[in-house]
Amino acid sequence: MASQPRLTSDMARTVFAMPAYLLDQLVVRLPAGAETLRARRWLIAALVAILSLPAFAADETAKVLVIYSNGRLLPANVEADRGLRAVLEGSPGRQLAIFDEFLDYPRFGGEAYEREFANYLRGKYGDDSPDVIVAAGNEALQFVIAHRAGLYSRVPVVHMGVTKQWLSTLPPLPAQIVGIPWDLDFAGTIEEALRLHSTARRLVVVTGASARDRQWEAELRSEVVPRFNGQVTAEFLAGLPAAGLRKRLGELDDNAVVFLAGFFRDGDGRDITPRDAAEAVASASAAPVYGPFETFIGTGVVGGRVSTFEDFGRRAGQSVRRLIDGASPESLRLPEVMPARLVVDWRQVRRWGIDAGAIPDDAVVRFRQPTFLEANRTEVMIAMAVFLLQAGLIGWLLVERRRRRGAEHAVERQRHELAHASRLAMAAELTGSIAHEINQPLGAILNNADAAELILDSGADRRDELRAILADIRRDDRRASEVIRRLRALISKHEVDRRPFELNEAVREVRAILDAEARRRRVTIDVLPARSPVPMMGDRVEIEQVLINLVVNAMDAMADVAEERRKVVVSVDNVTGGAEIAVRDHGHGIAPDRLPRVFESFFSTKREGMGLGLSIARTIVEAHGGRIWAENAPGEGAIFRMQLPATDFARQPSAGQP
Amino acid sequence: MSPKILLEPKSVPAETDSGARGVTTSATTLIHVVDDDDSLREALLRLLDVAGFEARGYASAGEFLLQPPPDRPGCILLDIRMPGPSGLALHESLQRQGVALPVIYLTGHGDVATGVRAMKAGAADFLTKPVDWETLLGALRRALARDALQRASRREAEQLRERFAALTSREREVFDRIVAGKLNKQIADELGVSERTVKAERAQVLAKLGASSVAGLGRLGEQLRRLSDG
Repeated sequence: MASQPRLTSDMARTVFAMPAYLLDQLVVRLPAGAETLRARRWLIAALVAILSLPAFAADETAKVLVIYSNGRLLPANVEADRGLRAVLEGSPGRQLAIFDEFLDYPRFGGEAYEREFANYLRGKYGDDSPDVIVAAGNEALQFVIAHRAGLYSRVPVVHMGVTKQWLSTLPPLPAQIVGIPWDLDFAGTIEEALRLHSTARRLVVVTGASARDRQWEAELRSEVVPRFNGQVTAEFLAGLPAAGLRKRLGELDDNAVVFLAGFFRDGDGRDITPRDAAEAVASASAAPVYGPFETFIGTGVVGGRVSTFEDFGRRAGQSVRRLIDGASPESLRLPEVMPARLVVDWRQVRRWGIDAGAIPDDAVVRFRQPTFLEANRTEVMIAMAVFLLQAGLIGWLLVERRRRRGAEHAVERQRHELAHASRLAMAAELTGSIAHEINQPLGAILNNADAAELILDSGADRRDELRAILADIRRDDRRASEVIRRLRALISKHEVDRRPFELNEAVREVRAILDAEARRRRVTIDVLPARSPVPMMGDRVEIEQVLINLVVNAMDAMADVAEERRKVVVSVDNVTGGAEIAVRDHGHGIAPDRLPRVFESFFSTKREGMGLGLSIARTIVEAHGGRIWAENAPGEGAIFRMQLPATDFARQPSAGQP
Repeated sequence: MSPKILLEPKSVPAETDSGARGVTTSATTLIHVVDDDDSLREALLRLLDVAGFEARGYASAGEFLLQPPPDRPGCILLDIRMPGPSGLALHESLQRQGVALPVIYLTGHGDVATGVRAMKAGAADFLTKPVDWETLLGALRRALARDALQRASRREAEQLRERFAALTSREREVFDRIVAGKLNKQIADELGVSERTVKAERAQVLAKLGASSVAGLGRLGEQLRRLSDG
């Protein structure tokens, strides 16, 4: 079989597995006998294989046996295995079965062990030879070289993770054995370490106690470290017991850089994986630790110039695939050594304050905590989109709100102007009374002035009388100007103005304004103020306007009523949450079908008047957050009521106070 | 007219004879001021006092009616708009009672309608406050003159009535016929007396009635008819 690997097929194996009697039935004329039977089987198998070759060649499962030097869980093995499988399983071509075996060096070793191991493989896989053997590590390659003859002498071997240095000590490999050796780049790693820590003055080299560790120590002492003599002072912590090593490392300061070659056995004689050693050294060290193994990255070691084990696996996988696809081992043309590059642990870069700019672009940076943006790209994009949408929406709403406020403002201004126009009309209506009210004191003033002049012309000394006259003139002047002030307050055009005011006072002011008009119409106005002050917030003039409107309406309603019954009662009451003002007349009341319409625009029962007064009154009251309604009084006449929300003076800004 | 010429002591005896000339300064003249506005009323009273008029103030129409005015020459300064009865109502009431004092209306705000109504009611004047002294004085003078005239004509009619009452019935018959424009002969025929008798009685009538001519007698007759009609 080994001589015709290409013929190995399921069909062929089926033939091998067939009971003899069936084969006899197939080839009945062949002579019997054990040897004859075996030969017959070969013959038939070959026949079947040849017949089935074109159809089955592509489906033939190739077997790859991977022999690792060390234990199954050694991180280097796991990484290499991942790289290998990634290439083999990910590439097109024949189906592959990968079998793994572990020499478990250095826990086990020696010639006897290797012999037993070879027997074990023979017993396990028998004659069912693999298509390619992968030897992972020096020991595995050594084992394969040593036992190949007794195992699968013709099967091509791909080695991986074999050190160049060790390989150089061997006689030239047979052509069937290929692979890319790697080199632990001690010097490169130390060089990178010192470049990243340019202020370091001490180089601390940590090595272990196993044979290989001693080998490395020797190499470092003789070849590597002397190269940096001018740059730093070097010291060795070689084969120390764990506790002692930890103590020494803990005493370091940031003047120092630690180089850990990695070791397999500590000074206490305990076996350890280099990765665990790295973890122990890095956690104990007060100075940054560098090492030449890729598996050190992540243990707390800053980094090193390394070839990654996954790369070993990949490179080996590529070779295996080409061999399976039919390439000859000689044609592979592999590089002489695995390329190495700087690999760093970003967390350690940050921890030791290493300048990120000093890390070359081709370096592999591991454990770089992806920024939030990198880690959650999709989510961030969605969030950004949502945010932008939201911002746009908010902006749009703000613009809308601004627009709405503008519109509200315009409406408010319009209402205000309408109210003002209405006040002007109201004032015009009251002109007669107002003129009378002003002319009374003016008349008195003129009469007094004339009297004074007559006294002066008489030449008589009547100083006391003149003084009395002047006092009267002053009093009447004040009276006239008070009327003018009230009138001006009523008709002046002021800005929309919300201020605190006292409702009883406003009612009294209204009474003063309408006093003359009431006398002209022979109407009595009774004011019943609330017992306690009624604080309000709003436009006092507009509230007064509403009251004037209601009182004038009340007087209008009683125009044809007997004089003694012409009485308007204005009452102010504190009610829950505000104040209520009622204006009651003693007229004929309002027809029930008209009650709901009295506040509508252009609805009027009077011949003169636009029918706007009450509609404006309602807009004013509603703008103050209140309401206004009409009802018929139980006895006679109508009552107009309005409720206004209360305001706590204390809560208003004092600046708003008049 | 300068106010100073009016400044004469109140103690000067009043001229009792008829005629418009002396009335303005007559000490018996009494001016009534009816206005509900205290300060205006007081100011007016003060002004009138300083100007030498006797004046009396009333705060309402009712107050005036409660104190019937003494029969003295004068006039009423009347506010139109007052609580209770208005000035116009007071005026009407006075006219019904035969109080003939001229009324000068003083109003705070004179509108045309009120003015027309006041003048129709027989107002002597219609003034709008504030009123200056010259205007007021002019109005007062006219009103007082009118009052004097009215008083004079009333007195004249009174005298006429007295004289007429002094006529005998025969003399009245003659008077009636003279006024009717009849000739002595016709009267004599109608009364059945001689024309000579009629002539004598006619002279008697003229003398008793104080008329100088038949034309004057005619005027008297007219006056008498009006008095009896009134």
